[in-house]
Amino acid sequence: MDQEQALRWIAEVFEQEPGRLSSSTPRSEVATWDSLGVLTLMAALHEHFGIVMTTDQLTGMKTVGDILEVLQSNGKLA
Amino acid sequence: MRFILVDRIHELVAGKTIVAEKTLSPEEELFRDHFPGFAVVPGVLLIEMMAQAGGKCLDAESQPRGYAMLAQIRSASFRQWVRPGETARIFATIVVSQPDYATARCHIEVAERTVCSAELMFAFVPAEQFVIGYRDPVLQAYLEGQPATCEANASIGGGKLRCDYRDAEPRA
Repeated sequence: MDQEQALRWIAEVFEQEPGRLSSSTPRSEVATWDSLGVLTLMAALHEHFGIVMTTDQLTGMKTVGDILEVLQSNGKLA
Repeated sequence: MRFILVDRIHELVAGKTIVAEKTLSPEEELFRDHFPGFAVVPGVLLIEMMAQAGGKCLDAESQPRGYAMLAQIRSASFRQWVRPGETARIFATIVVSQPDYATARCHIEVAERTVCSAELMFAFVPAEQFVIGYRDPVLQAYLEGQPATCEANASIGGGKLRCDYRDAEPRA
């Protein structure tokens, strides 16, 4: 998966328009990145990539780039 | 009406699967409005039946994460009307069960025909948020009808944790 595909996937998880998110988009600008969004992201990472994370780990994320880093560090992002 | 949308549990493997049932009486007031001359069980109540059944399946594990609460309806389909007085047989299979969330694949059958299905996500609310000594009455009734020993429960279907639930000390 390249970065563009990853951004599309993240947008889908947060029910955002494709192309709206970039690696620098802060969490505060993603309205659906709330407590339910954290759970949704956690489930999606697990189901799509087998990446298991805790709420604390995910709550500490500040930008879309932090999610990309998780994908990259788990070998899911080229 | 009370918001208990599971009458009884037929089969339960804690944290894995549940089969339960619910029958809504034709006398329920909601059928006066939904709809006049064409009474059907609202889809939102069918969703709630599946959520309550799935939640009981998770709660039967009695994990420290707390009680399961519906957090997201990931998908839902309604294929057939459910009429007042018809018995809905509710099935839920837990797909993922993590400390912070769980997902379940659920469906309801009436007379062995699938009438709706859904994929649901659950979050957990600490038991401390509930009234002291709270026990789910439907789940409790089911567990009380099961063999008394942990060993006996375990042999039914890996449900050793059901014993933990039943034997848990009420909160101080």
